[in-house]
Order: sequence, then structure tokens, then C-alpha cells
Amino acid sequence: MDFSRVALSDEDQEFQHELRSFLAELVTDEVIRRDRETGENFDEHVHMALGAAGYLELDWKTEAEGGFTAVRRRIWELEISRAHTPWFHWGTTAMVAKSVAQFAAPDLTDEVLPGVLAGRTRLCLGYTEPEGGSDIATCKTRAVRDGDHWIINGSKMFTSNAHNAHYVFLITNTDPDEPKHKSLTMFLVPLDTPGVEIQGIRTVDGDRTNITYYSDVRIPDRYRVGEVHGGWAVLRGALDQEHGTIERNTGGLEKIAVMTEHINVMAEAVDHVAAVVATADETGHRLLDDDAVKLRLGVGIARMEAAMSTPEMFGRVAIAQTMRDVAPDLMDLLGSAASLPVGTEGAADDGGVEYVFRLAGPTGIYGGTLEVFRNMIAQHALGLGRPNYSPATR
Amino acid sequence: MDRFELRRLDYSLSEDHTDLQSAYRQFFKSQCGIETVWAAEGSGFDKSLWERLCATGATTMALPEAAGGDGATLVDLTLVAEEVGRAIAPVPWIDHVCATRLLATLDALGDEAQSAALINGEQLACLDPRVDGRGGKRLIPAGSVADHVVFRDGDDVVRLSFATRPAKVDNIGRLPMAWVDPASADHRLVLGSGTEAVASYQRALDEWRVLMAAALTGLLEATMLAAAEFAKTRYTLGVPIATLQGISHPLANVAITVEGGRNLARRAAWFLDNEPDERPELAASAFVFMAQEAPRAATTAVHVQGGLGVSAEAASAAYLLRARGWALAGGDPAASAKQIAELVCAREAASTSRVASLLPSGAGRSI
Repeated sequence: MDFSRVALSDEDQEFQHELRSFLAELVTDEVIRRDRETGENFDEHVHMALGAAGYLELDWKTEAEGGFTAVRRRIWELEISRAHTPWFHWGTTAMVAKSVAQFAAPDLTDEVLPGVLAGRTRLCLGYTEPEGGSDIATCKTRAVRDGDHWIINGSKMFTSNAHNAHYVFLITNTDPDEPKHKSLTMFLVPLDTPGVEIQGIRTVDGDRTNITYYSDVRIPDRYRVGEVHGGWAVLRGALDQEHGTIERNTGGLEKIAVMTEHINVMAEAVDHVAAVVATADETGHRLLDDDAVKLRLGVGIARMEAAMSTPEMFGRVAIAQTMRDVAPDLMDLLGSAASLPVGTEGAADDGGVEYVFRLAGPTGIYGGTLEVFRNMIAQHALGLGRPNYSPATR
Repeated sequence: MDRFELRRLDYSLSEDHTDLQSAYRQFFKSQCGIETVWAAEGSGFDKSLWERLCATGATTMALPEAAGGDGATLVDLTLVAEEVGRAIAPVPWIDHVCATRLLATLDALGDEAQSAALINGEQLACLDPRVDGRGGKRLIPAGSVADHVVFRDGDDVVRLSFATRPAKVDNIGRLPMAWVDPASADHRLVLGSGTEAVASYQRALDEWRVLMAAALTGLLEATMLAAAEFAKTRYTLGVPIATLQGISHPLANVAITVEGGRNLARRAAWFLDNEPDERPELAASAFVFMAQEAPRAATTAVHVQGGLGVSAEAASAAYLLRARGWALAGGDPAASAKQIAELVCAREAASTSRVASLLPSGAGRSI
């Protein structure tokens, strides 16, 4: 057990310092303002600059491959968060690139990877379908073989950043007669292929995601990733990364659960609330002097610290659930002005908790809903067995 | 505070930790089954179990070597506390350990004979664990069995003893609880006065709250696992109820509470051990979280077992009562919650004025 400050070598300290300065200069107020307006979690200039500086490659590669050491990787994550870098598109890009490198033919990897590591090429996920929800194995998007090509028809939800990406990592159904896990095939579909249509959707937290449509999209077989009907194995590897179910042991240099970035957003907002309630207004009144304020803030902090201590799949649920449970109380104790979003005149805490409240909804949904993780905890941690559902109606 | 500071987040246990943990899990498993728990409900205290526990060094370990103890860390003690909770053992180990550690800090363990008796548990000490403890007659969780009751009286830390111990009162946590009236004590000794003494008492309260939080995680884990076992073997309409999400998801939520509460208690203990001024709000946070969650989660475990769960003969019912009563022995958790707010507000108000010019302007949307 160890929660101490990490003692850095001179070189690592220099790395930290350089990175922090680099990001401080790169992620300007203007970048953050634009990101808030577009909701894209992506800034092409920032992304390219980090690619050009070699950081993307260092992050993508394992230590054995010449990538970041564990300590530098942790510094990297923390500094990216500290700067409030628009960043989620790199996560999906890196994850898909791993699957491509592992499962695709070498020439496809050669086509894609250099651009990915340089920042030029971005990849997005095409998993969820409009009627599918979190069960990604219920895939209706069809791919049919046509000589050495495939013809794809269907649609995907939450293809975030498709409009900034060059390829979508698509789950397709290549054999509707087979059971779910034997019917899937993965493709890396170039998004400039005729028949691909991208439509923007805004979510309640201000993010922009997409619905993408595929109408007679014809692509060569070389864009297939993994075996025909072997998509589940490819997906499994990628999902393990996304769900954070891969074993780790780096002496406390990794985040303890997925989505700790989100609870950090909340922690920053809570710290800000604490400063606000402790400050006297022009009449000399401090919110903190009201015990009802003090109580709710204290309970909120306690619950947040518990969520921040909760590991792995347990933490994934605790983080989203705690954001949902605590944000309303924090807004209440700030009063009506907590309803004003960031940048609005008189916003209680510059809209910090207002944003956490809106973020809490999606946080419990994307990357697999909380129910998916409660199922996993029930089945794998408590040994309660697979959930029973009503008989299928079709 | 700097939420992006480079610190380790290493919750792993060392081999010494896991040895300690399994030694006490084994001890309580063999010495304190549910029948032992039930048998002690009248007095709230199993003297024989206490003596056997003390014989393992469970009280001695808690004191610093300079005071004649074995110098265990607070993290070590959370591991033992978890096992006390797992067994819902009728022994006031947490109270005694916190009180004797406080006595050691105040250099008030007494002469050699008395000091030895306190360290090895022959004499029992306890404290008033309430943060907002007001004066006058008070309910002390181990008041009916303690030889020494320590509490704060204004700027003084005092120790009371009684020729005849105060009478045990029935209570939902089945604790050896008693009304203690300082005015009727036979001996009253001021152990320390002023800022330092008060700070030492506050530290003892932090330790009590961390250990109580740890005990409650052990308690919840035990009753959760029993409920899970029940759910696997109870069928409805031909399927185990464990496979119904109406059962499995509430149990998963308890598992989440156990994982989070346990880690938070350990992290709070680590900071008290190593950097006590760095995160002073964590001890109270662990306590507030577990005090709120324990009764709810223990109710889930009961509920999963239906009518059998609420039967007075059910172990789950015994866990439910203690999940409620043990935390409440520390008074209204709101006092701790308010303390958390005060500590964090003081820190953030100070750091805001210090670094206002450095704050990023995009705090409202920051990922």
C-alpha cells in the first residue's frame, strides 16, 4: 500500500515539466471554448501537435516496444487531464489501432498505423446500433461477400468523432443464421467510401456524437480485421481494454478504474464549490455558515472519495452512480444560480456542478451501461450466475 | 487541491498484511461463530473471547514500541478491524485500541503495572467516539465493561473510573453500552489540556472512525456473501433467484460499497500513518460513507433472504442490527460530515486565493 508522491529521476522530472509546458501552451482558452461549443472532445491542431512531438507513438506503444515507462505513462495521463485537453478521440483511435495491429493483415496495419501515430489518421467505433443498446452482439448491420469485396448495409449509433475520423471499426453480421457470437465479422471501413453518411447528434452533456448510415458500402476484403465470423474474438480483446478488465500491476501508477477522468471532473468541481461556499459575498454572508450547506457538502465529498477509491468494474459503476447521486445536492446547496452554465453571468461555481449533473447521465451509459457492469459484478465477483431473461420473442 | 498530483494509487497488501489478515480471519472463524455472537447478546461482551483475542497480541500490536507495544500501523489495524466486523465479534477492540493509543500519546498509560495491564487488555479502556460530544451524562459504547473511560471535556482530556461500572443498557448494536455520568465517577483525572491534548483526542476520533468504517466493510462483506449463497440455492419458477437482476443488482451494489468503503478506509489510514496533515478529511469521509451505507446494504442482504432473512434466528438479522448500531455509537454522522466540509473548504479557500491567477479558465468543462 502506497499513496506517496512519486520520486522522479531528473529525466522524468524534465519530461513532466516539458509536457506540462507544452500542453499549457497548446491547450489554450480558445481550444477549450471551441471544444465546449462543438462538444467534440477533439481538436485537430492539438492532436496533430502531440503526434508530431512523438507523444502519441510513445503512448500507443508498450514499454517493451519503446513506449512510455509506467511512470511516464502516468505523468502523461495526469498532465493531459490537468490541461483539460480535448482528448476522447485518441482513446478510441488508440484502442482500434491496437486491434488492427493485432488482428488485421499486415498491409492494412501498414496503411493505417503510421498516420495514427503521427496524428493524421483517426479511428472511431461502430459498435452500438440504434436498436441494439449495450448488447453489441445483437448486430443487424449486414456484410455480404461480393467476390473479393464486401457490401455493407446498416446503421450505427454513438460513432463519436466519425466526422473527424478516417476509418470506422465496424461490427457486422455476416451470418444471421448462426448464434450471435459466431456471426460477427469486423471491418475497418474507410469513411470516405461512397454510401457512408454521418449525421451529428448532441447529447445532454453537450457532447457531439453521430449516427452513421451504411448503404451498399463496397469495400475490399483487405479491410477485414480478423477471421470471417471471427469478430467476437477481435471484439473481446478490445472490450477488455475498454472495460478495464485487463490485469494490471504497476505499483499504483495506473488509474484504478475506467472513467476516473470523469470523477476527476467532479473532484475539480467539488473543490471549486468548497472555495465558493467558503467565500463571503458582498454582504459578508458565507454559504458555509449554514449547517444545511455544510452537511450536504460533507456527505457529497465523503461519497465522492469512496467512489474515487473503488477499483475496477466496481469503480466504473461507483463513479457514474456517485456523480448522479451527489451532483443534485451540490447544485441545491449553491442555490438557483447553480442552474446557470459555464460562462453565464452569475453562475454559482462557473457552471461546474451543472456540467457534472449533465455529464453523469452519459457517464453511466457509454462504454457499456451500468447494468452491464452490475451483471459482470454479480456473475464474476459474486458468482451469482448469468442473468435470466424472459424467453426471446423472435 | 491538485487533483492531478503524481502519487501512487497502490491499494495492494503486502505479504505481512495478508498474513495478519488471514491470522485474524482464522481466529474469529474458529473462536467466534454466530452462536458465540448470540450468546453474548445479553452483556454485549464475551470476556473469554476478549482474553483469547488479547492473547494473540491484538491489543499489544496497536501501541507504539516506545510505549511497550508492537508498533502496528493504522493500516494494519484496519485489517484486524475488518475481521472484527466480519465476525461481528462481541469485543470492544476498536474502542480499547483507540483509547490506549490516545493514552500512550498523552503519556498517560500509568505506572508500569497499569500500563502493562492496559497494553495486554487485562484492563479495558474506551472513549467517547462522538465528534460533537456534549458534556454531561453520555452513552459510551463500551461503558459497561471499561475500567477507564476517556473523553474530552472542553480543553481537557480526562479519564474516569468507577468503583462499580455503569450498568449496561439494551441497544440495537448489542454493544456493552452504558450511560456514563462524569459527575458520579469515583476517579477523575485530567490527562492533558490545551491545543495539543485536544488535537490528540481528535486524532483518536479519526482512528476510531477509520477502524469503525473498516469493521463495517468486513461486516457487510460477510452478510453480502451469505445472502449471495442463499440466492444461489433458492429457486423461483425454476431458476435460482441469484440470476434475477432484481436480486443480483442490489447485491452487486453492496459489493461496490464494500470495495469502495474498504479502500477508502485503508487510504485514510495510510494518510494518518504517513502524511496526517495532507488529507485530514478522509477518516471522517470513510466513516460517513460507511455509516450511511451499512444499514442500507445490510438491509439488502436481509431482503434477499426474504422471510428467513428477517427471522431473529437468522445471522443476517444479527448483522443488520450491528450495521445500524455500531455506526450510531459514534453519534450523528452529520457531525463528521460537517467536519469534512470545514476541512475541505479551509483548504480550497486557501489554495484559491494562493493560485487564483494560475487556475485554468475552462473549469466548467474539463475533459
